[in-house]
Amino acid sequence: MNEQQNHSARRHFLASSAMSVSSVALAWLQNNERASAEIKKPDLQRKSFDTTPKAVLKEPQARAMISLWMQGGPSHHDMFDPKPEMAKYDGKEFPGEIQYDNAAQASSKVFASPWKFRHHGECGMELSELVPHTASVADDICLIRSTKTGVNNHGQSIRALQTGRTVEGRPTLGSWLTYGLGCEADNLPAFMALIDPGQLPVLGVENWSNGWLPSIYQGSVVRPTEPRILDLTPPPHLKGKAQKRALEFLEQLNSRHVADRPGQLDLHARIASYQLAAKMQTAATDALDLSKETKATQEMYGIHETVTAEYGTRCLIARRLIERGVRFVQVYTANQLWDSHGGILSRLPAACKKVDQPSAALVWDLKQRGLLDSTVVHWGGEMGRLPVVQNDAGRSKIGRDHNTYGFSMWVAGGGFKAGHVHGQTDEWGHEAVEDVVNHFDYHATLLHLFGLDHEQLLFRRSNRDQTLTDGQPGNVVSALLA
Amino acid sequence: MIFSGCVPDWHLEVIPLFVKMLLQPLILADLPPSSATTVMFRLSIIVTLFTAVTVGLPSAHAVDGDSAPRFETHVRSIMKTHCWQCHGEEEQPEGELDLRLVRWMLKGGESGAAIVGGKPDESLLYQRLRDGEMPPDSSKLLSAREIEIVRDWIVGGAATVRPEPESINAGAFITAEERSHWSYRPIVRPVVPQVADSDSVVNPIDAFLLARLEARGFTFSPRAVPHTLIRRLYLDLHGLPPTPEAVALFAEKYDADAWLQLVNQLLTSTQYGERWARHWLDVAGYADSEGYNDVDAVRPDAWRYRDYVIRSFNADKPFDQFIREQLAGDEMVTSPQNNLSAADAELLAATGFLRMAPDGTGGAVPDVNVARNDTIADTIRIVSSSLMGMTVGCAQCHDHRYDPISQADYYRFRAIFEPAFDWEKWRKPSQRRISLYTDDNRTEAARVEVQAKKIDAERSKKQSEFIAATFEKQLTKLPVEIHEQARAAHKADAKKRTAEQNALFKKHPSLNVTAGSLYLYDKKAADQLKTMADEATKIRATKPAEEFVRALTEVAGRVPVTKLFFRGDHDQQKQELMPAGLTVISETAELNEIPVDAAKFATTGRRTALALRLTSVRYPLTARVFVNRVWLHHFGRGLVTTPADFGALGQKPSHPELLDWLAAEFIDSGWSLKHLHRLILTSNAWQQQLRNSDDQDLADPDNELYGGARLLRLDAEALRDSMLALSGRLNQKAFGPAVPVMADRVGRFVIGQENLNAGRPGAKIDLKGEEFRRSIYIQVRRSRPLSVLETFDRPAMVPNCDMRRPSTGSTQSLLMMNSDLLLEYSRFLAAHLADEAGDDVTHQIQLSWRLVYSRLPEHSELDAAAAFLAEQTAVFSEQSAYMPNEKKPPARTASQEAMALMCQMLLSSNEFLYVD
Repeated sequence: MNEQQNHSARRHFLASSAMSVSSVALAWLQNNERASAEIKKPDLQRKSFDTTPKAVLKEPQARAMISLWMQGGPSHHDMFDPKPEMAKYDGKEFPGEIQYDNAAQASSKVFASPWKFRHHGECGMELSELVPHTASVADDICLIRSTKTGVNNHGQSIRALQTGRTVEGRPTLGSWLTYGLGCEADNLPAFMALIDPGQLPVLGVENWSNGWLPSIYQGSVVRPTEPRILDLTPPPHLKGKAQKRALEFLEQLNSRHVADRPGQLDLHARIASYQLAAKMQTAATDALDLSKETKATQEMYGIHETVTAEYGTRCLIARRLIERGVRFVQVYTANQLWDSHGGILSRLPAACKKVDQPSAALVWDLKQRGLLDSTVVHWGGEMGRLPVVQNDAGRSKIGRDHNTYGFSMWVAGGGFKAGHVHGQTDEWGHEAVEDVVNHFDYHATLLHLFGLDHEQLLFRRSNRDQTLTDGQPGNVVSALLA
Repeated sequence: MIFSGCVPDWHLEVIPLFVKMLLQPLILADLPPSSATTVMFRLSIIVTLFTAVTVGLPSAHAVDGDSAPRFETHVRSIMKTHCWQCHGEEEQPEGELDLRLVRWMLKGGESGAAIVGGKPDESLLYQRLRDGEMPPDSSKLLSAREIEIVRDWIVGGAATVRPEPESINAGAFITAEERSHWSYRPIVRPVVPQVADSDSVVNPIDAFLLARLEARGFTFSPRAVPHTLIRRLYLDLHGLPPTPEAVALFAEKYDADAWLQLVNQLLTSTQYGERWARHWLDVAGYADSEGYNDVDAVRPDAWRYRDYVIRSFNADKPFDQFIREQLAGDEMVTSPQNNLSAADAELLAATGFLRMAPDGTGGAVPDVNVARNDTIADTIRIVSSSLMGMTVGCAQCHDHRYDPISQADYYRFRAIFEPAFDWEKWRKPSQRRISLYTDDNRTEAARVEVQAKKIDAERSKKQSEFIAATFEKQLTKLPVEIHEQARAAHKADAKKRTAEQNALFKKHPSLNVTAGSLYLYDKKAADQLKTMADEATKIRATKPAEEFVRALTEVAGRVPVTKLFFRGDHDQQKQELMPAGLTVISETAELNEIPVDAAKFATTGRRTALALRLTSVRYPLTARVFVNRVWLHHFGRGLVTTPADFGALGQKPSHPELLDWLAAEFIDSGWSLKHLHRLILTSNAWQQQLRNSDDQDLADPDNELYGGARLLRLDAEALRDSMLALSGRLNQKAFGPAVPVMADRVGRFVIGQENLNAGRPGAKIDLKGEEFRRSIYIQVRRSRPLSVLETFDRPAMVPNCDMRRPSTGSTQSLLMMNSDLLLEYSRFLAAHLADEAGDDVTHQIQLSWRLVYSRLPEHSELDAAAAFLAEQTAVFSEQSAYMPNEKKPPARTASQEAMALMCQMLLSSNEFLYVD
């Protein structure tokens, strides 16, 4: 059998199994396209799931997403949301009501930001001196100053933003996107999680969990140190022909086995996963090989500097993955990097130094490659901080407590408005008061940019149609759209 | 009057129980002092209710057809979830409005009445909800459906099911609807249903399942073929595949008798306990390290609990006893602590169950009080999820949002464990371990110590002599006039020397002869001292080794108080609470109470009382929760699919009668797990072949009706253990300290003894076959998950794992294709084939199929395998590593490597990785 025949035999096999059956996601979308007011019939189709690209209702603006996930809660007061009037009250008693998380260390002393804000770019976006690189791409990003989840703990607020609800066990955004859209690459996982060499973020693996979506939509973890993917290369004696033939033999064994067990999704998923793994050996090796980048590009991401090298490397890997058709990449900071309950005067600048340059480089780099229009970049964590001092035990120890009632994050590309500031918090930066973007609004907007409707991207479970926003009143925020 | 004589007409299947509860004095106790009229009134309602009984349970939020919503059945849970946190549960309700009773809504708060019966648009409550003004947090707003229910309820007169109490005791008001939740009802052995196809019924399990199948026009799938069945059984009970001989034997005779015999045989093997203990260790959160912080200190003694669990399963220890020992084994100990009997040591090891939660207090933690209380909270989580199937932990900071568990209930429950944990007089892990030294051991140790001390003394004397002699020798090199001064200075304690003396030593550093520097002057003398020290060490090593057990104990006589922590914060302590079990259970079942300090024990006896309560035949949860877990492990799906949540947010049982029948049968058998296994494994239901019916696939996609077997993937341990077993390498040694795990050169966690050299892995230490032991004996260090197990979904213990979730990912595929581990195991298997089947390739292939798949290959498979081997042999023959070489013969030949590769593909294939 020559190679061509081999190949077509395999394609034929695929066509007869998991890959050809239209996914339920698509089926539901099509049902909805028929826009029937008729009552939905129960889904009696044999379910089959894959990550081949899916048609969507309308031409999407965004095709891929990189989420720079700042776990712990970056202080919007000190980076993104200037409140110059607060300076007058610095150290004085806060006149309003505060929703503390840790009452034990709470104080009511106003804490005006000690860092200076300036206008940046043609749009004049106000950003602090802690994020000079982000400031250099101000005209490309959309700063949301009115994000809100309203649940004051890390775990719940992470869940709200990552999975749509505060409860455990739901699929993450990346899983929903890959379930709904599949993946343009057939040689890399659709959803990749780039974890930090420090501890995992709060909730650990839940951050890239498929929840109750089929496991094929789970995020694939890329290790934070070399080798970034274990066992990615075949042992020397198996390289080339030996392994190729071995995998064909394996597929023979598996085809024969599955033929007697039609409808067993897991068996199809595993067959597909061997095929993906085989292709990943070259594709992922290539994607993870940063030596192919120019020195200028590497330096733009800060790979030559100790403080930015690690995060810069991961940001650059994220770009290389997106270029190769991966749908969703999330780049995590370490456990509680941004959780400045104390020592904020030293901790926050250190955290900013680590990520500011690489994050801005990613936006700039995508733009110069013409990829920003179709790639959403998200930068943000699960909360912001309070306008008052926490841990009032000396200047070096002070910090800020959690605040999920109004905080900032930024998005760029993929159809988001560039050089734009959206929403406002109150005069104290405590609660979002104008153009509030709840987590479900954010999700509805994101799905919209990907050509999906958050109420129509359904997964049938326990005799109920499940959605990312789960019946919450999510709005597509048109003011955020370009 | 609120209850304005309306006739309840909604669907309700819980009436008989509901009636019973209304009549129970126990239940009436928490209602207002009952007058004859109220009782009469209630009875009249009941009569009315009875006339309207139909089938179908009301869902809390749903409004069926034209039935009018009531507060308790429709509205209360909405209020509880969205409103009570501010309007009810705080000491001072916001705006003086308490929404926990309709009576209080009518009375209203600062802004006046919250509701006006029949007039939603005049009801402030409805207005605020409708306009999105309440709750103030826009992310917690009610859904349109929920608002509609509130509206309908007000339109219908804001009715309640029954009169409301005058007041609510701290968190103690639980409605009849909440009490009637299915899992709180008493376990009553249901009548076994009749089925049409009675020939298919081996025992009642079949009858319950078949009744549901027949109602839908289906029946069981045929019995699986013998080789499938025996493979399934071995992997289920042992986590290991059957030997080819066992498969052949069973194929000859596989009738019901042979089957029962086989089941019994497997149940008596040690390997049964090694498999089934693992399931329990998941819910107990077993780990060989403390977790909590980066250090993740090793728990050197945790393995005694693991061994205790294995022994208990193998002995079929009655499960109620197993629970009692784990919760309060320390209060059963009769021998003195300095002379513990082996049996008592085992009882203490059992309490290791309560010492499995992460405990960071042995090392540096950001806040020690937080760390202590976290350990207690995690322990409560483990106890409640494993034994009670309740998410009690959700009530740590506020009343449970969905289940009738108040925050006060949480702290009452915590009080049961308070004397043992005692957060204000905390004992670190090292202070909690209990020595297994006996008096004999101590006498022997003291005797040895005397000998060692003798040598110490001799050595010390000798050392002084050497130092003095060396010093004098040094002195001779210096002017005579300073000799006396120098001698005095040398004699003086180094820390107490005068400035003058120090100056002298500074000027003549060679005078500083000390025990530490002697070797620089006189190597021979130093060596002699070293030999003596070694001698003493050697003698000390003959002392009996002191071993410890990881246990939870109380300090006799100490009875710490438990206070409610406002918002779960230990710095905000509120009222003191007495130990008690969950109120909702106490209100539905007659159970023993938890004493504050039982006279019978030197310790408080609280945990003993809890164990008694949980193992009472009247306790509704324990047996249900456990039989559901057993069912889950046999069938791959629980009758309740949320095994750790039998509360309102959990799933309802798919076969409630079967669940109760199993629970009742389990209790009546003396809580015998092996009895339960036998029932399940001999049922026709369990022996069915994989479901393969389009009709059933369409009608029952999740196979909830059990019309055929479910395809299961080998779990992580079964996968690794099976690979070792079928290549003849499995080391069957049972029990004892954990086999260590270390990082390899690429940072992957593998079995091995850490041997770091400047932070990098040094020479490999021979583990002498320990690396081939069963996975249950491999160290579970939280920060070092063994890669092969982690890749195949072995869970992280945070703090425990209620159910494994098997995944399928490319990392698993890459591990099977490229890892050193798979290469090694595949080569073991290939070597084993050659050893067992001789040189004939056909025989080797046949044996490989029999080992890996428990069946013989078909002709086409045999041919394909032979062709594959021939091709791969040719490929490898071209590689220099396999070419004949006189100087350095190849480690293995091309054909051996080809056979190893074939074995690797068999091990990677679905037929091996899954169980039909």
